[in-house]
Amino acid sequence: MKNFYNFKVNNIKGLSAQEKEFRNKELDLFSKNGFPNRREEAWKFTDLNTILSKNFANIKNDYISLNEKKFELIKEFDHNYLFVLDGNLVSNEFKFEDKNKVLIKDYDYKNQISASNQNSLNLLNNALATGGYYLEISKDYKFKKPLVVYNHFSESIKEQIISYKNSLILNENSELTIFNYTDTNSKNNFFVNSFDYLKLKKDSNLKNIFLNKERCNCYFHSYLKNDLEQNTNLDNYILSTGLKFNKTDIEINLNEEHAKSSIFSALSLGSEEHQEIKTSINHNFKNCQSYQKIKNVLNDQSTGVYQGKIFVKQEAQKTDAYQLSKALLLNDNAEFDAKPELEIYADDVKCSHGSTSGSIDLNSIHYLKSRGIPEKEAYQMLINGFLSEILEKLPENDLKRFLIKKIGRQINGY
Amino acid sequence: MLNIKNLEAKVDNKHILNGLNLDIKPGEVHAIMGPNGSGKSTLANILSGKNGYKTKGEIKFDGQNLSELSTEERAQKGIFLAFQYPLEIPGVNTNVFLRTSLNSIRKARGEKEIDTLSFLKLVKEKSSELGIDEKFLSRQLNVGFSGGEKKKNEILQMKILQPKLAILDETDSGLDIDALRIVADGVNSYKNKDNAFLIITHYQRLLDYIKPDFIHVLSKGKIVKTGNAELGIELEKTGYTNFI
Repeated sequence: MKNFYNFKVNNIKGLSAQEKEFRNKELDLFSKNGFPNRREEAWKFTDLNTILSKNFANIKNDYISLNEKKFELIKEFDHNYLFVLDGNLVSNEFKFEDKNKVLIKDYDYKNQISASNQNSLNLLNNALATGGYYLEISKDYKFKKPLVVYNHFSESIKEQIISYKNSLILNENSELTIFNYTDTNSKNNFFVNSFDYLKLKKDSNLKNIFLNKERCNCYFHSYLKNDLEQNTNLDNYILSTGLKFNKTDIEINLNEEHAKSSIFSALSLGSEEHQEIKTSINHNFKNCQSYQKIKNVLNDQSTGVYQGKIFVKQEAQKTDAYQLSKALLLNDNAEFDAKPELEIYADDVKCSHGSTSGSIDLNSIHYLKSRGIPEKEAYQMLINGFLSEILEKLPENDLKRFLIKKIGRQINGY
Repeated sequence: MLNIKNLEAKVDNKHILNGLNLDIKPGEVHAIMGPNGSGKSTLANILSGKNGYKTKGEIKFDGQNLSELSTEERAQKGIFLAFQYPLEIPGVNTNVFLRTSLNSIRKARGEKEIDTLSFLKLVKEKSSELGIDEKFLSRQLNVGFSGGEKKKNEILQMKILQPKLAILDETDSGLDIDALRIVADGVNSYKNKDNAFLIITHYQRLLDYIKPDFIHVLSKGKIVKTGNAELGIELEKTGYTNFI
């Protein structure tokens, strides 16, 4: 069979001999098995090899980002921003903050940090990644306004893989809300394979929000590795509707006492979109908490997948871990797959999991219609209500209103 | 206003209504009583446009054939059903629901949408009449409401939407005496010469507060007896056995 990809480390300019050697080694490891397929447990419901081979003729890694396209800022709320074009940090502005407290620079590939489980896409990322950013927030500094990361992709990217790494360090007692806003509406097919490393030092607090602006013909795989120290709080909100394919693989390591993390997701998928959220929550220390709530609305022939793993080490007593996934299926051809996984070695823990899927409640539709609300609007109200619960925990502000509006707009396509 | 002629209804080949006739004129209050399974709620559901019933016969509302209208069109034309079991709608804010509902009806009638200020004023006024705490209105629709709160919320919707014909399906069930009085006061204060009520109930006690012009006894899908308010008192003493 002819390969549908052709990756070369030599396409990357300016590498030292040592870097080249490392990257070639990683690429060789990737090439042994190629893109994962459903024979691998972690890809059981997402046969990436088949999906990519159907939709790509020859993926390469030789795209050179040129045009520093102008981008439109969100007007609905005040924010700082990073502008990232095709994975490269192009500009930044922190006008609401004390600039001495923020360190922002290009990602330094001399100190690559890899995911602890070497899945093949992380190997590929190690081999091919360029660009990306490194962001560090000083001790005791609390951001006044959210930081929006505008992730833009050029419309001329086609049959390409874009790989990059980012790193975010929150020093002790710092606080940040980061909004990853992917705004591309490219009709061309391309694949993004990113790796993000986040470190939350003692007493720090991060809200990490992901949203897509438009529907596009893009294939995304992102790996998020999060290390949490003592008394930290990490809340993830994944609202990345609209991508043709997306797999978000989140690893959260609760390494010290009273670390808390949550993952909330509200996805509304249509046509043949395929999205997966895979989580590994590692309770490595006592008295930590984790919470996951995943909600999918699936229409047409879309597929939603949730694989949630909670791992509790023997010393992680008094762990409190929770996960729940719910799917609303609007079409007989839509599919939802959920696989909860609990691996518990401590004996004094509270762990629970659940998963439900069902169709829309026609009695509820009738109730809304009996109040004069047209059928289409009644459906939208129920879908919106189903998903908007996910945003409940966000503080009431313009950012939240913006997110609610965006989710609403995506549903209105229904 | 409402004219039902020889209405028959089937669910899964089971006959529920067997030739029901009923005429309601503006300004009238009709009560339908009857034993369990006599078809009371089926009648309410059919009037509201609920799917799942095979019907024969004729229902006209203001001269228009009801079977031609969807559920929402019926509501827009002024039919309101206070549900026996109001549904809990997670994630939908009660205020947003009320406003969407009111505006849908106004839009269908070619009226302008209500502005925020007037809406808030209207809701405040109507909810205080029913002793509904405003905090309820910022909660998710009926979610975690007690039985009584749900029923009061139905009456609040009625007062905001101002229907011509209000059908109350066992609105009294699950209400304590105080709530019953508040609900009845809500109905009485809304009642006028242009609108009408169809009250479905098991018990006389609601009719102590809302005086009906007619009481109909429904049995095996048919009205077997019609009388005035006295009939309810008689039923309370003797039960339905004389009529079925």
